[in-house]
Amino acid sequence: MNPAGGRLGTVALLVPAALIAVLVFVVPLARLLGISFSAPAGPFDAYTHVLGDDIYRQVFGNTLLVAFAVTTIALLIAFPVAFALTRLRGGWRTLVFACVLLPLWISVLVRTFSWMLVLERNGPVNRLLVSSGLVDAPLSLLFNHAGVLIGMVHVLLPYSVLPIYAALVRVDPSLLRASEGLGATAVTTFLRVLLPLSSRGVATAATFTFLLSLGFFVTPALLGGASSMTLSMLIDSFVSDRLDWPLAAAASVVLLAAALAIVAVASRFIRVSNLARVHR
Amino acid sequence: MSGRLALNGFVALVVAFVVLPIIAIVPAAFSAQSYIRLPPETWSLRWWDAFFRDASWRQTLLTSLQVATLTTLVSVVFGTAAAMGIARCTARGQAILTGLFLGPVVTPAIVLAVALYSVARATGLVSTVTGLVAAHTMLALPFVVLNVGVSLSALDRRLPMAAEGLGADDFHVFRTVTLPLILPGVIGGAVFAFVTSFDEVVLSIFLAGPTVKTLPVRIWEEIRVEYTPVVAVGATVMLALALVAAATSRRAGRRNRA
Repeated sequence: MNPAGGRLGTVALLVPAALIAVLVFVVPLARLLGISFSAPAGPFDAYTHVLGDDIYRQVFGNTLLVAFAVTTIALLIAFPVAFALTRLRGGWRTLVFACVLLPLWISVLVRTFSWMLVLERNGPVNRLLVSSGLVDAPLSLLFNHAGVLIGMVHVLLPYSVLPIYAALVRVDPSLLRASEGLGATAVTTFLRVLLPLSSRGVATAATFTFLLSLGFFVTPALLGGASSMTLSMLIDSFVSDRLDWPLAAAASVVLLAAALAIVAVASRFIRVSNLARVHR
Repeated sequence: MSGRLALNGFVALVVAFVVLPIIAIVPAAFSAQSYIRLPPETWSLRWWDAFFRDASWRQTLLTSLQVATLTTLVSVVFGTAAAMGIARCTARGQAILTGLFLGPVVTPAIVLAVALYSVARATGLVSTVTGLVAAHTMLALPFVVLNVGVSLSALDRRLPMAAEGLGADDFHVFRTVTLPLILPGVIGGAVFAFVTSFDEVVLSIFLAGPTVKTLPVRIWEEIRVEYTPVVAVGATVMLALALVAAATSRRAGRRNRA
């Protein structure tokens, strides 16, 4: 389209950004891959430890468990909210949308710190629970699974709501009325009409939420305890506390491989590039 | 009818779950005590005073603003150019380049952080503004490329061609025709880039150091040990800036649709 600029012009436009992507993304990852094979006891020693030792296996199991739990809870909350968004009109719709999207703008660190204040032993949640008589003594909601799940669902909820909403707005409302008119219960309409028609959106939401929770660091590190260690926390402790670079690198490569495997499988069904669009 | 009521009630609960914990940080910053209890028993501005009087807190805020401004400049210029370059490529080239630029979005932050830290240690870039700007630019670029890409695909290609036909050179066409038309996408990308950098924690924890430290890194360090309400002031500053950015982006988005 631009014969004057031509090929050379196109290359010139692409070079600066490509240089950043190569020098600050590709090269460091390649170096990390190299380090992962550099353990003194042999090239595969770090991987044998990371994948073989019971204590690390437990961390892998816990990471998957947290990611599954967060994804499930987020989807269960997100579907009704997304459905309600398709029904709301005017000011209410704008308001609920703003409330769902707003968290995407606010730093994960700020949101997690906020949860630390809200969930602490003498915090507002515990005082409310005790004064209402629901519990006798304050619950420990921090530094365990409960805190991690609450904080991560809060942070990742928008990534579940938006893809489901995008699928539900395309469902023809007359189909739901037809289903009702033919005598189907709300549950049947949901299972046989609404869910199948929005399955791609639900799959996208599940993929995004699972992918992001798998590598999440800030929230589990601040709200979780030693018993709820995740892979990202393990990688941090390899680098910061134990200064064991081959182990850190091998664990990072395993995490990256898992993320890429999810992306590869999911990209057959959904557009993964939409993940960057969900951001804000 | 009762179904709709239940649904609306559920949505109200979710909205409360989403919004209330975020706002909780604000009253904590106005506490008069030296510890955080929500809501504070007595109120004061003493921690705001403490935050802005303390040279080290002020410095982290300035460093954050400096890094975010530089990141925005670099990623908007490089990202806009890249989006225009991608638009000129074949479908295959577009797929490869989009994959390259989207890589950082699907890579877990902790992996990027450890990888960059190993390189930064070897090149002396730990605790430098350059190191932080490079890392943040890598994270921000995909958002600029995508945003400007959306504006470019909506652009009527006959307009720059007409300008060329009338004898304008490449730069003149860009400055007077293309840029004004894609400006909403560029502004949207700029806001994303700024917030991405200003909010970034994971990579910055590893790349920052005693001499160059951003506000989120300082907050992170404090809340991992013991904290006073001064941390809540820092967090409230971040919150306020995020809200300004969200409002700016909304206005840019409206212009993009108009």
